Order: sequence, then C-alpha cells, then structure tokens
Amino acid sequence: MRWLRFLVGLLIALTLHSLLDSFFPNALAFFNPYVILVAYYSMGGNIFGAIIAGVIAGLVQDAFSGAIFGLHAFSLTVCAYIVAYINSRLDLRGTWAFGACLGGAVIVNELVIYILVNILLKQRIEMFEQGLVVKTVFTLLFGMLIYQLLTLFLREEPIQPTRRPAAW
Amino acid sequence: MAVSADVIPRRPTLLFIVVLSLLFVLMSASRRTRYIGETRTLFERSVMTIFSPVPKAVNWVGGNVEDMYHGYLDMRRAVNENLQLHRKIASLTTENLKLRQSESDLRRLRSLLGYSEQFSMNTSMAHTIMLDTSGRFKAIIIDRGSANGVEVNDAIVNANGLIGRVVLTTKDLSKVQLVTDANCSVGSLIERTRRQGILRGDGKGAILHDIPSLADVQIGDRVLTAGIDGIYPKGIPIGTIVRAEPGQDLFKQIQVTPLVDFGSVEEVIVIHTRKIPAAIVRYAP
Repeated sequence: MRWLRFLVGLLIALTLHSLLDSFFPNALAFFNPYVILVAYYSMGGNIFGAIIAGVIAGLVQDAFSGAIFGLHAFSLTVCAYIVAYINSRLDLRGTWAFGACLGGAVIVNELVIYILVNILLKQRIEMFEQGLVVKTVFTLLFGMLIYQLLTLFLREEPIQPTRRPAAW
Repeated sequence: MAVSADVIPRRPTLLFIVVLSLLFVLMSASRRTRYIGETRTLFERSVMTIFSPVPKAVNWVGGNVEDMYHGYLDMRRAVNENLQLHRKIASLTTENLKLRQSESDLRRLRSLLGYSEQFSMNTSMAHTIMLDTSGRFKAIIIDRGSANGVEVNDAIVNANGLIGRVVLTTKDLSKVQLVTDANCSVGSLIERTRRQGILRGDGKGAILHDIPSLADVQIGDRVLTAGIDGIYPKGIPIGTIVRAEPGQDLFKQIQVTPLVDFGSVEEVIVIHTRKIPAAIVRYAP
C-alpha cells in the first residue's frame, strides 16, 4: 500500500513537473515536487524503503530534466536517507515535524547538487543562495499544504511509521 | 547461517553507500557522454520510456485544454466583434442613407443653381409643399410668398424645364399654375425651326397651337418658351413634340409632353420676371 501511494505520488510529481515545464518553464527553479514526495515517504522511518524511493524519484526527475543522469537521484537518496534515519530514532509527527524535515531535505538536496556540480562539471551555480531560499520557502509551503490536505481527506495520519529497532 | 543481529541494522547504511557509489558512477558516465552527442544512456532511456506516458498525457491534455481555452477566447472575441460589427453596420447603413439623401439633394440643388445662373433676372429658390396634379386644373403650392418677393406671373422652373407661373400669392405661400393646366397658355417656339406658337395645357400634357400645316415639325423637336407673352423668359425648355398631325384647318395638331415630371417636383426656382405695365398691356392703337 505504501509503495502504491509512492507510485501515485511519483506520477503526480511527474505530472506537475510536465505541467510546469509546459506552461511555466522556470517554475521548477522555485519548487521541487520530488523532494516533497521523498520527504513524505521517508518520514515513515524505513531507511531501506526511503533509499529506494529516493533513487527512483531522482532517476525519474533526471530522466525528464537536462541534468546529468543520476544527479537528482544521488541528492534525493541522501535526503531520503537522512530524513528516514532521523525518523527512525525520533518520533516526529504532525505538520510542523514534516515541515522541518522537508525544509531540511530541500536544503540538503540543493547543497548536494551544488557540490556535485562543482565536482563533476567544475561549474558554479549562479545565485545559489537566493535560489536555495526561494526554493526552500515555496517547496515548504506547498509540501505542508499537501500534508494538511492528505491528513484532512485520508482522515488518518498519512505517515505510518514502520520503525526499526534502534541502530547506529 | 544466521545473520547476527548487529549486522541487520547496518544493511540500509551499506545499501545507501552502495547506491550512492553506483549513482556516482552513473553520473560520471553520463557526464562523459553528454558532451559527445550521446546525451542519453541506455538506463536513462529506459526510465524515460517507462514514464513517458505521463508527460505525453499531460501534454495531450494540456494542449487540448489550451486549444479549448483559446477557442473559447476566440469565440468570445468573435461574438464581441460580431456585435460591434452589427452596430457598425447599423450605424454605417444609417450614415449611408443620409449621405445618399445628401448626395441626391446636392445634385439636385447644384443643377438648380447652375440653371438659375443662366437667367439675368432675379431668382430665388422655393420648395413645393403641396402638389395637386390629379384633376384637370393642375397646381402646386410653394413655400415662398409676397414677403419673399414672389409676385403673380413670376415664372417657376426647375433644372428640367418650365413648371408654370404664379397665379396667387399670400404672405408666405404661392400657388403655381402648371403648364399642363387647361387654363395655361405659353408663348412658345420650336427650337429647331424657331417657329412660334401658343402652348396650352390639356390636363395631361400640352398642345402646341397656331403652327401652320406646312411648317416643318418633327417628332422629338424641343419646344421652348418664346418670351413673347410678357410672363415667361425666352428659351426655357417646355417639352418635346410626341405627335404632329395635319389639322382640319390651316394648323397642325401637335402634342407636347412636358420635360418636367410634375409628380416629383421638390425644389423650384422662382424667376422674378420684369412685368409689363398694365397700361401697355391694355393699350390699343
């Protein structure tokens, strides 16, 4: 069921990606639906599942964007792992907790991309700091709105933690 | 062989490291190929192929929605444009009618003006306000009277020819006897031969009297005023001869059709003719 939700979420994210690409070509510079999906899924605390989700979501994003193939997969996997790892140890529930995780995930995602682009392409991303702030704010707002809507319409906590025993 | 409990928690982390390593290799491969034309690896192509229905569907739906939206906008624009064009057509039709009317008026008035300038006598313009051409006695009423200088026996013409003479004036109206009236006589001549005669109305047209049987008269000859009756100036066209037959006595029977269509007279020129003093008219040697 969780994977089905993830798949539906991925299709929605891809739809949003296509829509924004078609009608507002620069919109994805301010907003990343894939991070929301990965953060949402990783809140369950299942690190294994989060890594797979991060890889799949990232590869899909890479396939339909002009970046190096694997760049977003790498960054989203890192985000997914961190969020899932934190959630496997802390009992984070509710919109604010999701907001904190999502905000952190966006920042980590952008930082990882920044570092990888520097390493692999020897390029600097222009106006990185401004882009990071804008993307974090918009993605956060949109993600928390979606979280609230899911809670409202599914009438249950959308994230059901599947906690592992405490590990390192 | 059972896996020890402390190894199991490490698996995600190991998986994480392995995955990141593989992704790094993938990125490196992709980075190398993207600058030599082969921008898509097989793996990337596979992912794209699997998920391609989504962008295609979005594009198809988006395109149709956009087409519908533009169609709707175009339709709204067309409806508004149609409405505006209808209004414009109505306005232009009205304007066109007015202009046609003005053009017609202008043409008529110009011809009248041009015609009135031929006369050395004073002239003035008048409008017909009543028209009685149904009976044997034919008359029209014009909107100028004695206050405007109109006098009895002033000649009335329009651009086509002679209409008649003033027989009665009030302060602001005048009655005009038409040349087709049975009591009307006009001293006239045939333009081609200059043969003079008396034209009298017969209720429908006019008859030219006193033209000898031997005189040269042809169908189509124009008849003008002769200027011998002290009322009508010389040279005003009256009509055209449509029938000329030998009479029972010394004179011919000549039927003349007036040049003026009395049923459509609107503006007329009043020629203020110089009147012959009554004493001279009554004088008999």
